[in-house]
Amino acid sequence: MATMTIVQAVKRALDEEMARDERVVVLGEDVGKRGGVFLATEGLYQKYGPDRVIDTPLSEAAIIGAAVGMAVHGLRPVAEIQFADYVFPGFDQLVSQAAKIRYRSGGQFQAPMVVRMPSGGGVKGGHHHSQSPETHFAHTAGLKVVVPSTPYDALGLLKTAIRDDDPVVFMEPKRLYRSIKEEVPDEEYTLPFGEAAIRRAGSDLTMITYGGPTVESLKAAEELEKVGVQAEVIDLRTLVPWDKETVLNSVAKTGRALVIAEAPRMASFASEVAATIAEELLDQLLAPPIRVTGFDTPYPYIPDRLYMPTVTRILNAAKKALEY
Amino acid sequence: MFQPFTEEPIRLIDEKGNWIGDFELDLSEDALLTLYRNMVAGRLLDERYIVLLRTGKTSFVAPAAGHEAAQVGMAAAIRPGFDWVFPYYRDKTLLLSLGYPAEQLFAQMAGTVLDPNKGRQMPEHPGHKDLNVFTVASPIASHVVPAVGAALSMKFQGTGQVVLTTFGDGATSEGDWHAGLNFAGVQGAPIVFAAENNRYAISVDFSKQSASARIADKAHAYGMPGYVVDGMDVLASYYVMREAVSRAREGLGPALVELLVYRYGPHSSADDDSVYRPKEEVEAWKKKDPITRFERFLEKRKLWTPEFGEQVRDEERKKLEAAEEKALSAQAVPPEWMFDDVYAERPWHLEEQKRILLEEL
Repeated sequence: MATMTIVQAVKRALDEEMARDERVVVLGEDVGKRGGVFLATEGLYQKYGPDRVIDTPLSEAAIIGAAVGMAVHGLRPVAEIQFADYVFPGFDQLVSQAAKIRYRSGGQFQAPMVVRMPSGGGVKGGHHHSQSPETHFAHTAGLKVVVPSTPYDALGLLKTAIRDDDPVVFMEPKRLYRSIKEEVPDEEYTLPFGEAAIRRAGSDLTMITYGGPTVESLKAAEELEKVGVQAEVIDLRTLVPWDKETVLNSVAKTGRALVIAEAPRMASFASEVAATIAEELLDQLLAPPIRVTGFDTPYPYIPDRLYMPTVTRILNAAKKALEY
Repeated sequence: MFQPFTEEPIRLIDEKGNWIGDFELDLSEDALLTLYRNMVAGRLLDERYIVLLRTGKTSFVAPAAGHEAAQVGMAAAIRPGFDWVFPYYRDKTLLLSLGYPAEQLFAQMAGTVLDPNKGRQMPEHPGHKDLNVFTVASPIASHVVPAVGAALSMKFQGTGQVVLTTFGDGATSEGDWHAGLNFAGVQGAPIVFAAENNRYAISVDFSKQSASARIADKAHAYGMPGYVVDGMDVLASYYVMREAVSRAREGLGPALVELLVYRYGPHSSADDDSVYRPKEEVEAWKKKDPITRFERFLEKRKLWTPEFGEQVRDEERKKLEAAEEKALSAQAVPPEWMFDDVYAERPWHLEEQKRILLEEL
């Protein structure tokens, strides 16, 4: 068992998959000699060479668009977008090409590719280095969306993403890149999409979360335990597809649901989960599902941490649900 | 060897049908007649599509009459089914010349089950895996970067293949177009970018599209040769494309070829071109018709008579009629196909939604 961070887990997943399958290539800005600005591709250029670890021009449309063409021609590209905030010049390539080529060609062509991007706040980056744009991707038929929150999951899920026959948007919560260390098995493993992880069992309240706020949700659950409230914390891990069964089973048991995510609330993935709970479990609920999300403002530089769901805000929402 | 960045377009047949090339024509009589037949077939296909529209069998047509020489020339310059093609929506003659079965083109126009794309897209958006023809997408120039990606894959894997990608003049203003050419230039990707410059992006004429004198000039910026060609001269189109393709195949990198054409019809069946260009202009261009010009060329070589031309048209018309009949008599795409091919395997939320649809049917 080796102890590693999320960024080390990402690097190991890329390395293992490149060694396993020569069709796997990595492309993006600074991914080559520099090893990526977060060092997620460090050493791969030296090991696999410039035809498999491709430093691209500074153009997200070129990175994602070229990945589509490589994928339809038989490669398994893993594109890195330096920050999720910079995906938008390549957004049309994701939405119009990657997401739709299988469908619009009647299944003749496919684009098995991964677009990795560090996302979320907490690094004092202001709105152009802190956003969580997963809703755009979850809203686009044809894309799969993965948001790991631990090194173990990042490794297993990225390997699955690379082997998947569909385009996968893989969002890495950058504030957790090096803040969490975890023991990870030395032997190879993959993790399935669409299976949530129950991070903590409880009977009074369900917290459904993913990515960065998993950390604050667990802290809030510890605080609640001090006052005798047992919260169950579910980490969705993948948004498309998402594990509805685990969520509904838990909420049916607890009768109370908080949906906690960093992305802004308006038309968000948190809203999708809350609406599903309301639609399918109304008669078993003791309180309405409550969303704890980022605000519908651009992500501010100051106050950086207060934009994201804080432990206090989660506890306030829990109180509301418990006293309803 | 053709010179890039010439002021005048490269031309090998003058308007009277004389060969004016400074090299020996190396095409067999059969090859010349195939070019002719493909142009005739493309023109007839275009005419049939308009009939389909008028009889309510399709909902949209992008007329391509006037583009035949450029499209037939480029089709002849690549290896169909080996090289890859990333076309745009006005390429029916290119696709037919590559061997795209006419009944599948008609099926795409009508949305019947013979369309290998399963009727997922509006008309004039075909694609064919067996021919390596990437299914057309509407967002302008969005296919150009994927075309470069495929070319990079060919380069990295050493397959010896080449990519041909086509687009209109308007596409050259899109960011993705520049992103694609830039990346291809940097990597020396085996790809030929073919601009079918018909001077109008719907209604906006080229002077409002670009301050460059020629689209080909833009190749300078991306470190590749840019050729400007009379795209109503099938032999000029063929020979320049052949040279660009063989350069790419030999590892000498990409090229941009601008083919000057003119679309006789409106942008699409939803367009009225009379509001932005004078009738006289259209009539003047029709006098330079690529098919007529090539007939004059063939006639001077005793390969063509009016009777022979009529015979070719009859033969091609009959083939298209049979293909159309087959395509249109096939079953319409069933609605439950809607939920296939979104992903490799259908996830639970699409299973749920498919049940909602089935309840309604």
